[in-house]
Amino acid sequence: MGDESVPYFLGEGTTKTYQIPISHLDYKFIEKCTDVKHLEKILRVLRSGEEGCYPELTLVCEKRIEHLDPRSRVLRKDKPPATASDFTAGEWQAINSELMNWLTEMNEDDRKSQLLRTDILNERQDNLPPIRCSSSCPPTNQNKILQNKQRSKKNIPRDYSEWDKFDVEKECSKIDEDCEESNSKARFFSRPSLPIIEKKIDTTGMTKRDKMIIATREKEKGNEAFASGDYVEAVTYYTRSISVIPTAAVYNNKAQAEIKLQDWDNALEDCEKVLDMEPGNIKALMRRATVHNHLQNYQTAIEDLNKVLSVEPENTMAKKKLLEIEKKQKSLKPVSEPQGKGKKILIQEIEDAESGEGRGENIEECERRGGDKSSGAAAARAAGQRAMGNAHGKSRGKGGKAQDGDKHKHKDSAESRLKKGAAEKKSEKHLSDHEGEVNGYLRSGDKSESAEAEISEPHREETRSAGGGSSTALPPTAAKLKSEGNELFKSGQFGEAVLKYSEAIEYVTSLGEQSPDDLSILYSNRAACYLKEGNCSDCIQDCNRALELQPFSLKPLLRRAMANESMERYRQAYIDYKTVLQIDSSIQAANDSANRITKTLIDQDGPSWREKLPPIPVVPAAVQLHRWDGGSLTSENKPSTIDINREEQLQMNCEEAVEKFKRLKNEGNDFVKMGEYEEAANKYSECMKLNTEECTAYTNRALCYLKLYKYEEAKRDCDHVLQIEDSNIKAFYRRALAYKGLQNYQASADDFSKVLLIDPNVLEAQKELEEVTQLLHFDGSAGAGNQQTHGKKITIQEVTEADEQEERQFATSEDAETRRVPAEEAVPKPVPRRSSEKLRVSEPPNAYDFGQMINALNANKDKAACADLLTVTDPKTLPVLLSNKLEGETLLIFIQSLEHYIAGKDPGLAYQHLFYLSKAERFKVVLALLSKNEKNEVQQLFDLLSKSWSDQYSLEDLESLKKVYEL
Amino acid sequence: MSAVLGAERPQVVSHVQQALSYTVFDCKWVPRSARLLCLGSAARGTGVLQLYELNGARLQLLREIEKPKPIKCGTFGATSLQQRYLATGDFDGNLNIWNLEAPEIPVYSVKGHKEIINSIDGVGGLGIGEGAPEIVTGSRDGTVKVWDPRQNDIPVANMESVQGESKRDCWTVAFGNAYNLEERVVCAGYDNGDIKLFDLKTMSLRWETNIKNGVCSVEFDRKDINMNKLVATSLEGKFHVFDMRTQHPTKGFAYVSEKAQKSTIWQVRHLPQNRDIFMTSGGSGSLHLWKYEYPAQRSKKDSEGCEMGVAGSLSLLQNVTLSTQPISSLDWSPDKTGLCVCGAYDQTVRVLIVTKLNKI
Repeated sequence: MGDESVPYFLGEGTTKTYQIPISHLDYKFIEKCTDVKHLEKILRVLRSGEEGCYPELTLVCEKRIEHLDPRSRVLRKDKPPATASDFTAGEWQAINSELMNWLTEMNEDDRKSQLLRTDILNERQDNLPPIRCSSSCPPTNQNKILQNKQRSKKNIPRDYSEWDKFDVEKECSKIDEDCEESNSKARFFSRPSLPIIEKKIDTTGMTKRDKMIIATREKEKGNEAFASGDYVEAVTYYTRSISVIPTAAVYNNKAQAEIKLQDWDNALEDCEKVLDMEPGNIKALMRRATVHNHLQNYQTAIEDLNKVLSVEPENTMAKKKLLEIEKKQKSLKPVSEPQGKGKKILIQEIEDAESGEGRGENIEECERRGGDKSSGAAAARAAGQRAMGNAHGKSRGKGGKAQDGDKHKHKDSAESRLKKGAAEKKSEKHLSDHEGEVNGYLRSGDKSESAEAEISEPHREETRSAGGGSSTALPPTAAKLKSEGNELFKSGQFGEAVLKYSEAIEYVTSLGEQSPDDLSILYSNRAACYLKEGNCSDCIQDCNRALELQPFSLKPLLRRAMANESMERYRQAYIDYKTVLQIDSSIQAANDSANRITKTLIDQDGPSWREKLPPIPVVPAAVQLHRWDGGSLTSENKPSTIDINREEQLQMNCEEAVEKFKRLKNEGNDFVKMGEYEEAANKYSECMKLNTEECTAYTNRALCYLKLYKYEEAKRDCDHVLQIEDSNIKAFYRRALAYKGLQNYQASADDFSKVLLIDPNVLEAQKELEEVTQLLHFDGSAGAGNQQTHGKKITIQEVTEADEQEERQFATSEDAETRRVPAEEAVPKPVPRRSSEKLRVSEPPNAYDFGQMINALNANKDKAACADLLTVTDPKTLPVLLSNKLEGETLLIFIQSLEHYIAGKDPGLAYQHLFYLSKAERFKVVLALLSKNEKNEVQQLFDLLSKSWSDQYSLEDLESLKKVYEL
Repeated sequence: MSAVLGAERPQVVSHVQQALSYTVFDCKWVPRSARLLCLGSAARGTGVLQLYELNGARLQLLREIEKPKPIKCGTFGATSLQQRYLATGDFDGNLNIWNLEAPEIPVYSVKGHKEIINSIDGVGGLGIGEGAPEIVTGSRDGTVKVWDPRQNDIPVANMESVQGESKRDCWTVAFGNAYNLEERVVCAGYDNGDIKLFDLKTMSLRWETNIKNGVCSVEFDRKDINMNKLVATSLEGKFHVFDMRTQHPTKGFAYVSEKAQKSTIWQVRHLPQNRDIFMTSGGSGSLHLWKYEYPAQRSKKDSEGCEMGVAGSLSLLQNVTLSTQPISSLDWSPDKTGLCVCGAYDQTVRVLIVTKLNKI
């Protein structure tokens, strides 16, 4: 009984092997026995039939074992496959019909893919990574050495070469063990603990079905990673899935993984995306509630849970959570619910408003530091980042106090800093609430482009202009009044500050001098006082005035937004916040508030809340710069350090705008690639907000509109471009297409001829022109219905051709749009093929076929055939045909065949080929890798060309091309 | 009680049985279709390649191609979804790639090995695995070679024993870890029980172990992720599941082993739609469906502070016996969860449906 190892082969007598008393082979014993091992032995004895055949007893024994250990191995029996009798009729039918459905689906797909095949063959092959370098094969000699070293020490017959250096180390370790330990460990730890997985999948050229399959697979990978507890990896794979096709389910899963990782912000974002796509998604609501709970936004969490319960009143999870959160909320704030909410917003407002001043004070104090080092100023000595932190700590402290009711205690900033410590502790619970925000500030503080710095800017300016008494446009009396006002404001005496500001305003207006900037600042400051006092309506009035004087100025907008928000005029507040964000998207406070209001508005108005909004004013792109210009103008006489600081900020801001522009444009381009023209158009529209002068955004949007059959809009965009750049060929071309879509064939023909006037080589335009002129004639004669169908068919062709043309332009133009180039692979290439049908049979229809031919040529080193190929190939299409497949070998055979066969006969063609070859992708790389001999070949070709003469190129052209070929 | 269990557990239904006139060595679903391929050896010593289409409850023969040498193994792993070229290894050591629509001449052909190619695997195609499409072959001549279909004649990597050493028969190869453009590993199993893991990025032997019995089949749970699990089956009926996430400097990878049947486990194949479910096929004509369950913590620190893996546990979901002869090949449909084909030495190919896999 004691023997633990259970032999599987039951060759010899079982009773002997197991030494089981025969009495144990009994119903009663088996029913009582709890030793599974023993029972298993009994079962084996019974099954073997050694002691006789007892089917009933065997069955009982089996059941007993199953009861005790359902996973026991002895219970595994050979079973025949399941048949219809193992299922209910319904199940069986379901299994069969499911399979049949799949089969028909597959057959249909097959047929479809057969039709598509030739077009999509070339797609992904173009993006393949290079062939693994064969020279990187393990050097066998080295292995031998390794092998010899360790052969003697291995006890298991390891007759394979040891590749890994690690093993060498291991061998060395016999000499110095300690050293080895750390070495090997270091090696293992040096392996990246987090694998680098691309976050995006290149879907170039994939069909919708491909994308769906990929997206599903990535989702499955995410699910599996989630199941194994690897949430980081799960998030990565969900992100990849989303990059292919965004679906609510994947966002939802991602949110869950992020919750597991306690990445609340992203989880919140993802939940909101799900709810954008599927409002009322229970899981997403539950998850958002969880997130809000952890972010301590109890109110919103409760709202979400209530929504869940309104749909599923029996959801126990939601109920439990709701209770939990309500309890938490009560314990945190003994105040009643709605009040708590109102107050919370107020607190945040105060914080936002005061953070600016906190900063202002700090800086002021830094200035004063020379004379007064005594009080807590040491803290202020800390560099920007710390100062910022302090300022925040303080304002938070203030916020906490404001809640307690004593608002007027900050007479001295040093004093407040002392208090800060205590206040901070008190409001620790709030801390985490605003942590994200604070971090945001700190981070941006480093970059010296922080939202806060911007908010505080006018303040600094104001205080300084008052304190320093140096030159502003304000008359001295007004300046004095203003500085007094500022002082009073800082000390918290808002009422008195209002009086001072009012006096100043009165004085300035009575002078009648035109200084709208200063007046605007005064109004804005008075608005701040009103806001502090809770006099929201006056605050809004002042903000309005300030904005009349200086439209799109940041501070009054922010203040008006806050006032509106506290008056529960959410829509107006939302508009103002959005305007602020248009001016400067980095203002965290505005961002947060806008998000918060969005939620409130959704609650209030339902999913269609946007429709009820008044239009958001579009901020001209120049405003941002203008604002800064104003700043640097007035600060001209200030200490130089500040000036530099501001300069930097200005620069940063420009750069930021440029960055953002680029990013948006790229996003737009990506959308175009994916065929989602609507989104692309939106992106480009956003680009335009940033920079109205940049034509590419307009031309690209025009392309999108063309694809969307919105010809009127496309035309408008092209018109705009042509106003700025009267010879933009793309704009002309697209306008022509738009006109064609609008059936204004005359105008279309005109535009096409303009395109040809600028560049007579645009084949597409030529073709289009022919078509359009035909249509012009056709227009007169044909009936309306007929005409329409015809028109429609042609527009489809047009669109692809528009793309084609664009690719070429992208390939030749050198603006920063290289990212668009891969798009060409996505586009099936009907155009060249069509032309090839018309012209020559042997012309390669697409990059894939061309590549195949090149491969064949390379294999045979058949220069003559290559020359033939090049003669029939239009040089202009070379970059497209080569796509990214250009290799040294290919280049060489091209050069050789050009030299030996073409240059003599037709130097012009040879030149053209050389020229367009240099435009191909990877050309530079390939060129850099050419050997000396190969370079000589190129040199020879050029020499040959310079000797012969053609009207297609001049010697200068040749020289410049030579430079391109680095000769 | 068994009725209740039956309702929850997956069931294996033998949907179609098709008798063949030759010995089938490998069968494969053609990706994104309802067609399947059977590869084998005809009685007169030639190679046979049959293309069937699943048509309701029967298999319709679409095409039969005869080749001079018996074909041992095939893969679609390195081809694009559009082309769906089949790579095969034959008894003579040739690696061929066929366009099934024009199978007269191979699109790629190389005499890769001196002796039979026992096993083949591909990666980088079908949208599975980042990086270049590559094929790995393992042969009786003891070498494991990696091929890129774009490079003729010579392999891109060659893993062989040092001259003068006795050559072991490589029975099985598999790709894994292809989660980005650089990373990729090849795992090879040999007749003496050696399992070797070659890192193609660093071109080094990353890990090796010996499971005492000949290794019949190895497979990663997914090729295109940071390597997660590896299943290796052996000659005497045991199989090992290695947790490949955490490699201990000396102990290597943690594993759990399980004995499925008394006979050789010929094949292991993971469900493409769920990496934690896999099927093993046995020498006694049986199939076992397993599920791997992860431990609460997948790694822990040993006494010296090194990370070491913790193996999970295995549970048997279902087992059936289909034949008296070994089931030598097994393939899940990549497109339809639970659809599966297996070829056995009783010269029969069977299409199976495994139910309720998505409810596990």
